[in-house]
Amino acid sequence: MKAVLGLALGVLTAIGGFVDIGDLVTSSVVGSRFGLTLVWVIVVGVVGICLFAQMSGRVAAVSGRATFEIIRERLGARVGFANLAASFLINLMTLTAEVGGIALSLQLASGLQPVLWIPVAAIAVWLVIWRVKFSVLENVTGLLGLALVVFAVAVFLLHPDWAALGSQLALRPPPQSSESAVTYWYFAIALFGSAMTPYEVFFFSSGAIEEHWTPKDLGQSRVNVLVGFPLGGLLSISIAVTAAVVLLPQMIAVTSLSQVLLPVAQAGGTIAVIIALLGFVAATFGAALETTLSSGYSLAQYFGWSWGKFRRPAQAARFHLTMIIGLLIGLGVLLTGADPVQITEYSVVFSAIALPLTYLPILIVANDHEYMGDRVNGRLTNLLGLVFLVIILIASIAAIPLMILSAAGS
Amino acid sequence: MTAPLPRPPRVPGRILDARLHLLDRQVLDVDGEPVTTVDDLELGDLQFGERPRSAAPTITALISGPILTTRLFGGRAPRGRLGRIGWEVVAGIDIVLTLGIPGGGLEVSWFEGWLGEHVIGRIPGGRHDPD
Repeated sequence: MKAVLGLALGVLTAIGGFVDIGDLVTSSVVGSRFGLTLVWVIVVGVVGICLFAQMSGRVAAVSGRATFEIIRERLGARVGFANLAASFLINLMTLTAEVGGIALSLQLASGLQPVLWIPVAAIAVWLVIWRVKFSVLENVTGLLGLALVVFAVAVFLLHPDWAALGSQLALRPPPQSSESAVTYWYFAIALFGSAMTPYEVFFFSSGAIEEHWTPKDLGQSRVNVLVGFPLGGLLSISIAVTAAVVLLPQMIAVTSLSQVLLPVAQAGGTIAVIIALLGFVAATFGAALETTLSSGYSLAQYFGWSWGKFRRPAQAARFHLTMIIGLLIGLGVLLTGADPVQITEYSVVFSAIALPLTYLPILIVANDHEYMGDRVNGRLTNLLGLVFLVIILIASIAAIPLMILSAAGS
Repeated sequence: MTAPLPRPPRVPGRILDARLHLLDRQVLDVDGEPVTTVDDLELGDLQFGERPRSAAPTITALISGPILTTRLFGGRAPRGRLGRIGWEVVAGIDIVLTLGIPGGGLEVSWFEGWLGEHVIGRIPGGRHDPD
């Protein structure tokens, strides 16, 4: 019975923890501008994150090495450092977007200015990281994030024209949508980046070390990932569908978090909005914790410092100092009045650019007998891994030209 | 057809590639606590930047700290203290290097120790045991 509960808890946490500010904003923007013609990208992205999260978790459980230790060992000091610099900056950008997302959600819930909520959000994130047990912080935010199921319910309450949605899925754009091919592919990359954000892998592999996984725990983690992430991806798709049903016909292109909520309000009224807001706060708060921890993980693992919430803070001093500085930088950027939604839109594209930096070393080490013994990748995993490496490379190379050509999707 | 590469001479014992098995590896102390990453190696009777004259220089220490900048950006070794860990305390070489002594007293650990003692440890809860 306890095992079943543990399994269910893991899966539910993975579902609720899958969505972050990047998924919320990008799915809604894409739904409101392209209908469902880009939903296939979410599916591809979910398969990719399942594959690589699972791989990095397996490497961590078997070898005891987290992702950034591996990146440095395999790529060497110099290329590893370039990788660290890029990953750290993009992670910082995502962290800023998530903290801003908490503040925006609290603003929508309370009516108070976000500038008042930004420091509250940043301090709350730090306090939780400072004092709350790792498994608790992961599970609570994940479970509360399940409130986003309200988007899936809203899809049915809206009584959409299923045939029209079906034809959009089959890549026939809706008549109201008049986007160019360049913009379409730019948002395809943004959506791909939001599903495969590198911090998820830093967090997943470091979390495996935090929770002292052994190869015995791999069965549970495989179920969490293979069931939880796709169901989490369904939440992303639901957000896109609600936007496609309500916002697209009225030619409302999403530019703020409140617009993401509009379809839910129309479908279920105040109660639905309250539930969705709870989901927003949980999803952004959970992701803010994950990105803050990831900033500490990546730096500490590159330089070989002691890290982790399983140690006393004083015994992982540089790790904790890094996270405090990271949060302060995010706070500073937000207090200049920068728009978290815009930061999010850029962070998902930069994430896509940085993807090969993270995923190539994991794929190499997952095949290294010295680290993995006889638990190296099987043929199917390697085949899928290589296919995804090609997709990731193409997305990474195409991102900047598309960003310029489409004027960042405007 | 090119001639096949000559086979390397057989040696008794294990061959370690300095770049592959030592550089950039995590160093753990005797209790399994992370100490640092190997940023460079000190080779006996060779000065910094000097090419080996004799056939086989020997490793005398692992080096960490500011020396890393020379591997990142080139240039001269920074003046001042090198974070030196004598080769004689290295107890194990696997996917991590293990030391046979506690890491707390080592030169490379002073900043971590100082920060833990005077900054992070001073924040309420900073010395609190994790659950």
